[in-house]
Amino acid sequence: MGIQQTFYEAMREHGITRRSFLKFCSLTAAGLGMGPEFAGKIAHALETKPRTPVIWLHGLECTCCTESFIRSAHPLAADVILSMISLDYDDTIMAAAGYQAEEILDQTIAKYDGNFILACEGNPPLNEDGMYCIQAGKPYVEKLRRMADHCKAIIAWGSCASWGCVQAAHPNPTRATPIHKVITDKPVIKVPGCPPIAEVMTGVITYMLTFDRFPELDRQGRPKMFYSQRLHDKCYRRPHFDAGQFVERFDDEGARKGYCLYKMGCKGPTTHNACSTVEWNGGLSWPVKSGHGCLGCAEDNFWDRGSFYSSVTNLNVTGQVEATADKVGGILAGAAAIGVAAHAAASVVSHTKDSNKGGAQQ
Amino acid sequence: MTETTTPNGFKLDTSGQRVVVDPICRIEGHLRIEVNVDDNNVIRNAVSTGNMWRGLEVILKGRDPRDAWAFTERICGVCTGVHALTSVRAVEDALGIQIPANANHIRNLMMLAQHTQDHLVHFYHLHALDWVDVVSALKADPRATSELMQSITSWPKSSPGYFRDVQARLKRFVESGQLGPFSNAYWGSAAYKLPPEANLMAVSHYLEALDFQREIVKIHTIFGGRNPHPNWVVGGMPCSFSLDGTGGINMEWLNLVSSIIDRSIEFIDKVYIPDLKAIASFYKEWTYGGGLAGKNLLSYGEYPDVANDWSQENMLMPGGAIIGGDLSKVHEVDLRDPEQVQEFVAHSWYTYPDENQGLHPWDGITEPHFELGPNAKGTKTNIEQLDENAKYSFIKAPRWRGHAMEVGPLARYVVAYARGEEEIKDQVDGLLHDLGLPLPAIFSTLGRTAARGLECSWAAHKMRYVFDNMMANLKAGDTATANMDKWEPETWPKVTKGVGHVEAPRGALGHWIHIKDTKIENYQAVVPTTWNASPRDPKGNIGAYEAALLGTPMVDAEQPLEILRTIHSFDPCLACSTH
Amino acid sequence: MNSKVASGPHDPANQRAVYVFEAPVRLWHWLHAFSFAALAVTGYLIANPLPSLAGEASDHFLMGDIRLIHFISAYVFAIGFAVRVYWALVGNRYAREIFYLPFWRPSWWKGLFYEIGFYLFLTRRQHKMLGHNPLAQAAMFFLNTLVTIFMIGTGFALYSEGLGIDSWADRMFGWVIPLIGDSEGVHDWHNLGMWVMLTFVIIHIYMAVRADIIGRESSVSTIIGGWRMFKDDQP
Ligand code: HEM
Ligand code: HEM
Ligand code: NFV
Ligand code: SF4
Ligand code: SF4
Ligand code: F3S
Ligand SMILES: [Mg+2]
Repeated sequence: MGIQQTFYEAMREHGITRRSFLKFCSLTAAGLGMGPEFAGKIAHALETKPRTPVIWLHGLECTCCTESFIRSAHPLAADVILSMISLDYDDTIMAAAGYQAEEILDQTIAKYDGNFILACEGNPPLNEDGMYCIQAGKPYVEKLRRMADHCKAIIAWGSCASWGCVQAAHPNPTRATPIHKVITDKPVIKVPGCPPIAEVMTGVITYMLTFDRFPELDRQGRPKMFYSQRLHDKCYRRPHFDAGQFVERFDDEGARKGYCLYKMGCKGPTTHNACSTVEWNGGLSWPVKSGHGCLGCAEDNFWDRGSFYSSVTNLNVTGQVEATADKVGGILAGAAAIGVAAHAAASVVSHTKDSNKGGAQQ
Repeated sequence: MTETTTPNGFKLDTSGQRVVVDPICRIEGHLRIEVNVDDNNVIRNAVSTGNMWRGLEVILKGRDPRDAWAFTERICGVCTGVHALTSVRAVEDALGIQIPANANHIRNLMMLAQHTQDHLVHFYHLHALDWVDVVSALKADPRATSELMQSITSWPKSSPGYFRDVQARLKRFVESGQLGPFSNAYWGSAAYKLPPEANLMAVSHYLEALDFQREIVKIHTIFGGRNPHPNWVVGGMPCSFSLDGTGGINMEWLNLVSSIIDRSIEFIDKVYIPDLKAIASFYKEWTYGGGLAGKNLLSYGEYPDVANDWSQENMLMPGGAIIGGDLSKVHEVDLRDPEQVQEFVAHSWYTYPDENQGLHPWDGITEPHFELGPNAKGTKTNIEQLDENAKYSFIKAPRWRGHAMEVGPLARYVVAYARGEEEIKDQVDGLLHDLGLPLPAIFSTLGRTAARGLECSWAAHKMRYVFDNMMANLKAGDTATANMDKWEPETWPKVTKGVGHVEAPRGALGHWIHIKDTKIENYQAVVPTTWNASPRDPKGNIGAYEAALLGTPMVDAEQPLEILRTIHSFDPCLACSTH
Repeated sequence: MNSKVASGPHDPANQRAVYVFEAPVRLWHWLHAFSFAALAVTGYLIANPLPSLAGEASDHFLMGDIRLIHFISAYVFAIGFAVRVYWALVGNRYAREIFYLPFWRPSWWKGLFYEIGFYLFLTRRQHKMLGHNPLAQAAMFFLNTLVTIFMIGTGFALYSEGLGIDSWADRMFGWVIPLIGDSEGVHDWHNLGMWVMLTFVIIHIYMAVRADIIGRESSVSTIIGGWRMFKDDQP
């Protein structure tokens, strides 16, 4: 998983001589406003093991995954960015802008072809030729495809990149599409959540750097270490669920006693995430602990399941028509019962007539 | 004809060289700026383009109004929570729900925490690099840096050894040759004015602030379960107090909130404000970027002191509108009045039946229509230059009584100043005095950046005030956090509408909702960055970004530092602006 | 193999009694019926829990018990069905009827339309049947056999989430979740499956009782005792 090639080796592979490599180093030193004595140090650094380059792209999104990332307490986000990886492109925090920013993408492809990690936050819209998300005058999906072509692997940050999330909710006006449906020839590690927990994000990155391999993924491409259980399996309110003690209204007696939030629509029983174990903001709390049910934010389709406050959710056939199993099924069974009653009545009438006529049937 | 004057009084000249900056980085979302510069590299025309659209207003139709907060919260993760609060307020307005006093206090605390954290991150991580040369910090003398720091603040992390360590770390980083997010930037540009010591001090605080901001948001985690994107509920707050039981908010968490408030006040007042003053003192001659600030400013007012009272007298930060730079009159703003807030789409990638007319948000329409003007250069999927005489942005053009308005911390501060708010006046006058600047100096890029810093401090201190009020209320025996009387849709009127508003970190935010048969019939958001990054309206009035860039000289048109400075001073959020 | 219109003098349908449902079929029928009833009641209460109980959490285990009954019934339901599938292979010809539809036979379609006409009171005289008439067969196939498979598939997929990611249930049924999309979706469709089956049961019980009262052959007693009795000797 780690980048085996150093920068120097990569440059040599691209037919660049040692002389021009050293020249590059002195230019870099000069470009940074440092004296020529730094050139040698830069060359040394580049010849030894470099930090793994990460290109972090933003599609249609709310940038909350980045916001979550910088909340990481262990490791600190600053340590990840400055000491563990080389975050060479991330439009939300990078210093350069305009064409100087976009040039970095070319440089990355030239230097680290097949050796950088592509971190995707948000997703590309496909309607209107991709122009619902424009970057440098072009559709974002073009940039995504290009960088994906050259990267080693993709991390899909958050529910946007993993599933589509809010902009892909019915009727998905821009045809926002998750990464794995656009890029099909590269491994995609999904780290869903809207947003994902900070320490889950940095945990995934540090796992890859530490063990030099991808974390084991579940059937849907999520790291097992954080997503293989439902919140409900480790929820501290679970004894109340099992006992049949539920919050029936916000701020009722049960709420003050910390009863289970299932009746308030908690999606803990169907949501795979680490909230009930890792918790949020340095292990301080998580939605259920604060008194609101889980929205199911790490699951596909969680926006289109009808009210967040109901334990029986929308079948999600047509997006937003309220069609829960209980409603559809109730109508079905109700209709059957009425039909049966009517048929029984008709049968009695018909049978009596037949019997009176002398019994055509018997 | 290349020279025109806009109805709102700005001269535009498109004859000079066109410079395109796309992407504008260190913001939220995707923004493009095009400018024309004259022979002296002075900006004579500016075009601001919102480069993304997701369609939240379309997606919300037909949904349960009680769910809307969660959808709108995802409009933005940077100003997380603000759309959620606006949304629950809109629904409560539509349904006539009165929230309990504690819910009001908690919401105020969460919003104040949001301002504190958002402003802090903006200053250090999104804006500072426009003024601070990171590489120059390598040349600083740690001892002199320590002296500089100790001359302006009593913050303990100020020893020579501390700065030596930071510098060594920075040096290792730069020497690695992998500059990460600092690659390809404009280090060494003549536009940077800080001495190396000030740069080193700022870089240290870049790291400290990145670490500290994590603490502030824990207030959201306690009351809303997490940050980003804490939880809210129509009718109050989803959290409960259980002061003498187990299950809800208890004394331990309250103590944590209290401690976060104290630490926030200390960090802002001992690090942020001194840095702001120190940096500003080196850029006093850089007086550009006023634009609309000296003319039209808008604030809705925020932080109702007493729950459910929306009068400006009850607001901790009262709002209103300033027109034509006349600070002697603050106009009342009525968000229900169809004549006041309207949105236009003549130059936006949407359509209306009649694009010469604006629509009040209750009647708003969001129908996308992407189309480049006849004079645009390039192709549909490879735009080289936009045609600002046609449609050119996914941002609508909101207007107040027909005026383009600037919103944000500066607008709030000027409105509150004009209303004679003592605290605000003291802060502003004090800062201007320290820097030796007159009041009009505040109508500038630096003024905007300064107002944000002052507000950050104000918000941190106000958290203490609100927290103490909440504790007094709890002590008086009121522990309610939610009013669930109108929770069930059966209790709702068949048709109703409401409006909710918030002063978000970036400015005035409103959500307008129409509810019919218990479902959302129409939902419209008019967002701070929609105001500021607004394209032109049918009459040709330009918005705040475009106006603020005019007249700014650039050191080197190839290095858009000056554009970044002014645009960043607004703290753009493009995901918000187009939603 | 299929039920068909009785015709000649040697046709067994002209006899007074025929052994139709062998013991395993009958036993299964009642296991199936009672486990379904238990699953439906407990399933409904899982989706829509009873009002909260007061007192210590450790004093109660109401939801836990409801779920336990659901899971025990689920095993009865699933293992019973597995045995029934086995019996379809080794049992008499009527044992296979609910597992396939002979849609390739024109006579089957003819019979189906005939039955539909009969239940719409268009035809007065009902055909004699040994096994299930084509309409009943179609209903049993779609609304019972397929739905039973669906309920077992989705049910054990949900169950696997509790057992854990490397459990046997996960290996056997875990793939159902991504197939449907997500766990919440599996719950919803599992829940809907209950209603579909309930719809079948309402009609089914009505038909069975009705057939006994006004039909030409025995019905309820057949599924209890196995013998189909006819009330006349005419074809
Ligand atoms: C009091 C309740 C019930 C009664 C009186 C009853 C009666 C019957 C009768 C009379 C038959 C034979 C049909 C025929 O003659 O063609 C039958 C078959 C069947 N019943 Fe029921 N039933 C009951 C409940 C149920 C329930 C709850 C289910 C399913 C959940 C069910 C599923 C079936 C199936 C699948 C068959 C076909 C058996 C086979 O051919 O292998 N029954 N039932
Ligand atoms: C006809 C047969 C069945 C019926 C009618 C039935 C009905 C239901 C219903 C209505 C629910 C609630 C769904 C919701 O959460 O909204 C449920 C949940 C469940 N069922 Fe079934 N079910 C059946 C068979 C099975 C089988 C064979 C299994 C296998 C183990 C199973 C396992 C489960 C599980 C694990 C749950 C979720 C329990 C929880 O969330 O606590 N079910 N069932
Ligand atoms: N503009 C904006 Fe926001 C803010 N502050 C929203 O209301 O940032 Ni995303
Ligand atoms: S997944 Fe959620 S939090 Fe992350 S960018 Fe998307 S909408 Fe925002
Ligand atoms: S609160 Fe939610 S996650 Fe916790 S036990 Fe109840 S339903 Fe499960
Ligand atoms: S809403 Fe998301 S944050 Fe966790 S508790 Fe639920 S998965
Ligand atoms: Mg809008």
